[in-house]
Amino acid sequence: QDRTITGTVTAKDDGTPLPGVSITIKGNKVGTQTNLDGRYSIQVPLNSSELVFSYVGFISKTAIIKGSTVNVVLESDSRALSEVVVTGYGTQKRDEFTGSSAKVSGDVLKDRPIQSFGQGLTGQAAGVNIIQPNGVLNNPPVIRVRGFNSISLSSFPLIVVDGIPIVSGDVSPNNAANNTLGDINPSDIESIDILKDAASTSIYGSRGAAGVLIITTKKGKQGQAKVNLDSWFGITNPTRLPDILNASEYIAYKNEAVLNSKISGGNAANPAVASALFFPINNPDGSIVDTRWYDEVYREAYSQNHSLSISGATDKTTYYFSAGLSDQDGFIKRNNFKRNTARFNVNQKVTDWLKFVGNINITNSKNEAPNTGSLPGQAFGTSGLGRLAVLTAPNVYAVNPDGSYNISSANLVGQGNNLSQSGFTNAAAILDLNTFTSESNRILATVGTTINLVKGLTLTSNYSVDKITTESISFSSPVHGDGFTVQGEAANYLGNRNNWNWSSSLNYNKTFATKHNVDALVGYEAQEFTTRNWGGLRQQVADPFFNDYQGNYTLNQPPVGNAIGQRAFAAVFTRLNYNYGGKYFVTANLRRDGNSTLAAGRKYGNFGGVSAGWLISEEGFFKNSKLSDNISKIRIKGSYGVVGNGNLPSDFGSNFLFGSGLYGASSTLVFAQAGNTELQWETSKQTNIGLDLGFLNDRISFEATYFKNNIDGLILDAPQSPSKGIPGNTILQNIGSMYNQGIELGINASILEKGKFKWNANINYTNVKNEVTSLATGNADIAGVTSLETANITRVGYSVGSINAVKTAGINPDNGRRIFINKAGQMVQYQHVNLTGQSRWTFMDGSIAPAITLADAQIQGSAIPKWYGGFNNNFSYGRLDLGLQFTYSGGNVIYNGSQAGLRDQRFWNNQTDVLRRWTTPGQITDIPRPIFGDNVSNGSAFPIDANVEDGDFLRLSNATLGYKLPTNLLTKAKIGSVRIYASVNNAFLITNYTGSDPETSTNGNSNLAPGVERNSVPQGRTFTFGLNVGF
Amino acid sequence: CDKEILSPVSETAISDANAFDTPTRIEQQINGLYSTLKSGQFYGGRYLIYNDIRGEEFINRLDNLVTGKAVWSLNVESGRDEVNNLWATAYSTINRVNVFLKGLDDNAAKIDPTLLASYRGEAKLIRALTYYSLLQLYAKPFTLDNGASLGVPLRLLPESTGANNDLVRSTVAQVYTQILLDLNEAEPGLPSTYSTALLNTTRAHKNTAIALKTRVYLTMGRYADVITEGNKLVPAVAPYRAPTGVLHQLQASVATPYTNYTTVESIMSMPMTDANPPGTQNQLGYYFNKAGSGFGNGEYYLNTASAGILNNPLWPATDARKTNFITVSGGQSYLIKYNKTSPFADYVPVIRYAEVLLNLAEANARTSVTPSLRAIALLNAVRQRSDATYNFDPTNLATPAALINTILTERRIELIGEGFRSIDLLRTNQTIPGKISPTEPVNAVAPTEKAYIWPIPINEIRTNTLIVPN
Repeated sequence: QDRTITGTVTAKDDGTPLPGVSITIKGNKVGTQTNLDGRYSIQVPLNSSELVFSYVGFISKTAIIKGSTVNVVLESDSRALSEVVVTGYGTQKRDEFTGSSAKVSGDVLKDRPIQSFGQGLTGQAAGVNIIQPNGVLNNPPVIRVRGFNSISLSSFPLIVVDGIPIVSGDVSPNNAANNTLGDINPSDIESIDILKDAASTSIYGSRGAAGVLIITTKKGKQGQAKVNLDSWFGITNPTRLPDILNASEYIAYKNEAVLNSKISGGNAANPAVASALFFPINNPDGSIVDTRWYDEVYREAYSQNHSLSISGATDKTTYYFSAGLSDQDGFIKRNNFKRNTARFNVNQKVTDWLKFVGNINITNSKNEAPNTGSLPGQAFGTSGLGRLAVLTAPNVYAVNPDGSYNISSANLVGQGNNLSQSGFTNAAAILDLNTFTSESNRILATVGTTINLVKGLTLTSNYSVDKITTESISFSSPVHGDGFTVQGEAANYLGNRNNWNWSSSLNYNKTFATKHNVDALVGYEAQEFTTRNWGGLRQQVADPFFNDYQGNYTLNQPPVGNAIGQRAFAAVFTRLNYNYGGKYFVTANLRRDGNSTLAAGRKYGNFGGVSAGWLISEEGFFKNSKLSDNISKIRIKGSYGVVGNGNLPSDFGSNFLFGSGLYGASSTLVFAQAGNTELQWETSKQTNIGLDLGFLNDRISFEATYFKNNIDGLILDAPQSPSKGIPGNTILQNIGSMYNQGIELGINASILEKGKFKWNANINYTNVKNEVTSLATGNADIAGVTSLETANITRVGYSVGSINAVKTAGINPDNGRRIFINKAGQMVQYQHVNLTGQSRWTFMDGSIAPAITLADAQIQGSAIPKWYGGFNNNFSYGRLDLGLQFTYSGGNVIYNGSQAGLRDQRFWNNQTDVLRRWTTPGQITDIPRPIFGDNVSNGSAFPIDANVEDGDFLRLSNATLGYKLPTNLLTKAKIGSVRIYASVNNAFLITNYTGSDPETSTNGNSNLAPGVERNSVPQGRTFTFGLNVGF
Repeated sequence: CDKEILSPVSETAISDANAFDTPTRIEQQINGLYSTLKSGQFYGGRYLIYNDIRGEEFINRLDNLVTGKAVWSLNVESGRDEVNNLWATAYSTINRVNVFLKGLDDNAAKIDPTLLASYRGEAKLIRALTYYSLLQLYAKPFTLDNGASLGVPLRLLPESTGANNDLVRSTVAQVYTQILLDLNEAEPGLPSTYSTALLNTTRAHKNTAIALKTRVYLTMGRYADVITEGNKLVPAVAPYRAPTGVLHQLQASVATPYTNYTTVESIMSMPMTDANPPGTQNQLGYYFNKAGSGFGNGEYYLNTASAGILNNPLWPATDARKTNFITVSGGQSYLIKYNKTSPFADYVPVIRYAEVLLNLAEANARTSVTPSLRAIALLNAVRQRSDATYNFDPTNLATPAALINTILTERRIELIGEGFRSIDLLRTNQTIPGKISPTEPVNAVAPTEKAYIWPIPINEIRTNTLIVPN
C-alpha cells in the first residue's frame, strides 16, 4: 500500500524554492523531482520511512516521513563543487583522485576588477604563485605551479579551456599588452582545476611539466531558466609612488653635486668648469615652476564591467548563454582595456546513447597603452613613462604657459634655465601624440559527441578550433618622442593564430564483484598551431594631419614582424583508475607524445605516472575506533611520474638554418641558427606524497603534501663562448638539471556557524626550494638580463635567476665615498671625478685599486619566493557578507633597480632619501657624497647590494562587503535575488620593501631574470561597487 | 598524417643542407659575410664610433650609456654591452667566414674556379679585417712589445655545435701573422676589378687587400712593408692614382665621397640603403650630426679645448674639410660628414685612398733620416685637395719627427669620424688625452693603465675557461 507525500523544497540561504531537486525513497529506486515552484509529490510504500533529497551544489538531506507533508530546506554546499576534480580527458571524485590538484571556484573571479582570470588566482591555491608584473592593463601575470620548472623554456603552466590547450602570453608587438587569456570572460568560468603533480599532468605529456590549469566554463542547470546580471564600477589610483624631490630641492641638490664634481676634479678655480647647472624658472604668477610629473602620467581611472547570462536545462538539453562587456581604464593615462564577449555552451542528449556538446566563445578585446616602459625588454627605454615620471627635472614645464609642449629641438624635454639636459622626452607630449593599440578577434569553439557503445563503454570525440586575429597599430609622432628622428612613424602588424585540436577517447567504467571499480581510458589527440604574422612600417609622415598607417609617408620601410610558425603535437594516451571498495585507489597514466619542434628521430617521448591512495577512514577498524568520533576522514596518497617539457621558444629550434637578408641592395644568406640533431624532451620526474584529514564531519579539512620535482636533461639555451661566433651565442641542448622540493599545507574550515553568523576560512601555505644542480658544459653561469643590466645569475648550487650584485660596505665616513667589496673581499672606494692622474677606484689607504666590475658581483639571494600562500575568509551575517583575501609571500630578495635610477647623479631627479647624503667628515649615512655624473655609486653602472631588498610581504588583496536585498521585496518585482557590494582590491600592503611593489616583475615571465624591478609603473588600488542580480 | 604535421619545414629560412646548393646561394653567402661585417654593432657604425670617441676629438653631450658614454669616458667594464656586442659581432663574422670556407671546399665543384678563388679571397679578407679590428680594442698595441702581449682567441675552424668553448688567447703577434697570411692568400685570388663601381666599393678586390695591408703594417710599425704595399697603389710622383686594378685616386672635392659613395676614392665602404640601414642608435649620422628633425641626435660634438683637433692651428677655417663637414648648432660644433636623415643610409667608409696616401707618407717619413720628400708630397696631396693654396709652415716639416707629427695631425683632420683616432694613439703608444664634458671631466689614460684598452667581455670569461681577462 502506497501513500502520497507532498512538500516544498527551499534553499536555506534565501528561502527561494528549488526546482529540479531529486527525491528518492531510501532503499528504493523510485524517485521524482521538484517542479518549478519547488513542489513535489511522490508515492511511498508503507514500509519506507525516509526520503533522500539531493541537488547539485547542495548538501543532500535525508528526511524522516512524518505525516503526508515533508518540507525540506537544503543548505548550499560550498564544498560540493570541489568534490569533483577535472582531470585531463575526464573527471574524478576528489576522494578517488590520488594525484595532486587544487580547485578554485569561478565565484572568486567574477566580481574582481581584473582582465584575465590568472590575476584573480593569487593566494587561492597551495603551490600556485602568481605575480602581477606591473599595473599595465592586460599584461600577462606570471604563474608558477610549484616553482620554476624550466630555465630556457617557459615555466608558464599549460592552459586548457573546456578540453582544448590554448596559447598563452602577450600577442601584441607594441606597447599595448594583449594577453590572450584576457579573451576569456572571468564571469563565464565555473571552476579552475590546477593539476600539480606528474601523475596528474602526464596525461598532457609534453606540455604538463609546469602544471596544467583546466578551465571549465559554466553549464546550465536543471530547472527553471536562470538569468544573472553581474555589474561593477571601479575607481583605480596608483599606489606607492616614490617621494621625489620638488623643484627647489632638485635645484639645490643637483648643484651641490655639480660643485662637488668641480672641487673633486681640482677645478675649484677653473672658470671653464661650471659651479651650478640648475636654475629655476618662474610661472607667470611669479612662483617657481614645480612640475609634478606624476600628474602628467597617472590619473584616477574609472572602469565598468557587465555580464549577463541565461542558463538552464531540461532533461535533454543544457544551455548557457552569456554576453560580457568590460571597459577598464588604467591609472596610467591612455591605458584602456575593452572586451566584448559572447559565449554559448550547449549539451544535447539525442538518444539514450548519443550526446552532442557544442561551445562557442567569441571575443573582441582591444587594448590601448602608451609606452609605459614596463613590458619585458622595455626597462631602459628613454620614453618609458614609468621612468619619465620620476627622473624628469621638476623645475621645467611640462606644457608651456602658451599651451605648447616644453620640448627642445633636440627631442628632449625643454631644459628651461638649466644648463644641463633635464630629462629624456616630455611625458606629456608623448602621451598625447603617440598611439599604441592591439585588438584581437577570437573564436574558440568546440563540437563533440559522446556515444554510449555498450553499458559502461563510452566513446568521446571533440574537435576544437581557436582562431585569433590580432591587429596591432602604432603611431609615433614626428613632433616629439620616439618618432622624432624618423620624422613620424606608423607600424601596423597583423597576426593570425590558428589552433585546432582533435581528441578522441574510449572510456570503460565498470564495477566487478561489487568492490572492484575500474575506469579505463584510451585516447588519441592531435593538435596543430600555426602562426602567420606580417607588418608594415612607414616613416617620414608627409603631413602632420596623418596619424594612421594609411596616411601618406615619404619612406616605406621593409616589412616588419614577418613570421611563419608551425608546431604540432600528436599523442596516444591511456589511463586506468582502479579502486577496491572505495578504500584503495590506484591510477596509472601513460602518454606517448610527439612534438614537431624536437630533432628528427627524437620527436616522440613516453610520459606517465602512477598514483595510489588509501582512504583509511573507510576501513572498519577505523570506523570502530574512537578516532572516528572526531576525525571524519584520513587519507594518504602518493604518486610518481615523468612528464616532459618541449615548449621550445622556436618552432624550428632543432634545425640548422641559414637566414636571408640584405647587404645594401643585394640579398644575402647567412648562418643564422645552430640547431641540434639530438634535441629531445626535457623530463621532469615528480614525486608527491599527501595526507588528507577531515575533522567534525569534514567541517575542517586539512591537506599536507610533500613534493619533489627532479628536472633532468633541461633544454638549455646553452651559452657558447662568444668567440665561437655561434648565432645568438647559444645552442639548445639537453643539458643541466635542477629540482623543486617543498611542502604545501591547506586548511579549509567552517570555523563558526552560530545563528545567522557564519565564518568560513581557508589558509594555504607553500614552501618551495629550487636548486640548479648542473648546467651546460663546465657549469657556466647563465646571466639574466634586464635590457641593459644584468642583475640575475643562474648558477649551480643556487636557485634559478638568483640576484647577483656587487657587495658594498656603506659609505666611508671620512670622505663620503661608496665602499665596494671586490671578488677578493677587499674594500675599494669610488669617487667619480678626481684630480688628473688619480684613480676613481682606490683601496682604503688611497692606493690605486682595480676597477670593480660585474665580475666582482656575488649572489645575494633567491629571486624566487621560498614561501607563499593565501588566507581567505568569508563571513556572513544574515544578508550581509564580508570576504577578506590575504596573500603573503617571502624568503626572496628583489633587485630594486628603480632605486638605482632614483639615486642616479646624472640630471635624473632623485628620491627624497638622497637628502641624507654624506656632507661632513665623520658622518655615518647610506647615501654617498653626490658628484654630478656619478652613475656608479648608486648602482646604475652595475647592480649593487644596496639596491637588493627583502621581498617579504602581506597584502590584503581583496576585501568585499556585500548585502543581499530581502526576498519579499524582490518577489513582488519578480526578481530572484539582488546582492550589492563594495570591494577594494590591493587594499593594503605590509612590507619592508621600499620599491613600488614586491610583486613587480620587470622581465615578465622570464625564468632567468625574475625578481627585478626596473623603471616599471607601480600597481593600482581599485575600489569597486557592484551588483549581482538573479531572475 | 602525423609524420607530416610533426615535421614542418621553415618557410622563411633555408636549411644548412641546402645553403650551398646553387651558385646564387653561394654568392648570397658572400654578401652575407659582408652584411655581418656591416652590422651596426661593427663596421655599420659602432666600431668606427668607438674608435673616434675614445679619443679627444669629441665631447659626449647626452650622458647616455647606450650611445657610448662609458666608452667616451674610458670607463668600460667587462659587462658593458659595447664590449660584449662588438666582440660577439666580430666573432660571428669570423665564424660565418669559417663556415663559408668549409662549405666552399665541400661544394667547390658547383662554381667556376676563378669565382671560387675570388670568394675565398673575399672571405679571408673579411676575416683579416675582423681580427685586425678586434686587436685594436681588446689587445695592447703590437708596437708596445712586438706583439708579445695577449691578443684574442684565434678561431679558424667552423663552429656549429656545443664543443670547443675553451680556447686560449693567441698573442698579438700570432694574430697579426694570421691576418697577414689571410691577406696575402686573398690578394692573388681576388679580381682586379668588378663590373660596376658599386661592386668595386662594396666587395673586396686586389687593391682592397693591398690597401688593407698598408694599414696593418702601419699599425704594426713595419714601415718598410707599408712602403712595399703602398707602392703597388701609389705611383712615385703625382698625379697619385693606382696604376692597376681599380684606378683609385682622390676626388677633386673632399665632399664627393660622402655623397657619391662609389667613386674610386672609396676603396671599401659598407653600402647602406633605406631598406638596409645601420639600425637604431648605431648610425654615424645619428651620433655625430647635430640634433634636430631631419638631422641626427647630436650625441657627440667637437671638442673646442686645445687638445681637440677642431681648434688646432693646422686646421684653418679655409679648409674644405671644415667648411664642408663642420656645422655649429646650439653653440657646439658638429661633424656632418654623414648627412643623411633617418634611417641614416650614409655609406660607411672603411678604406679610402686618402688613408693609403697618409699611411705611405708616414711610413716614408718614419724610415727616412731626413724629412722624406715623398712623404711631404703625399701629405700635400691630401691637404691641398681641401685647401689648394695651403702651404705648411716649414717648421712643421723640418725634421722627421716634425713631419711625422704633421702627418699624424693631418690624419686627425682627414679621417675624423672614420674610426682612426684611438688606433693612431695606441699604435704610437701615446697617452689618451683627457677631456671635459659639461657633466664629467675625463682624465687622460696612459698606456700603462688598464683603461687603455677594453676588457675581455664577461660573456667570454663566463664560457671560455681558458680566456685570460685584460
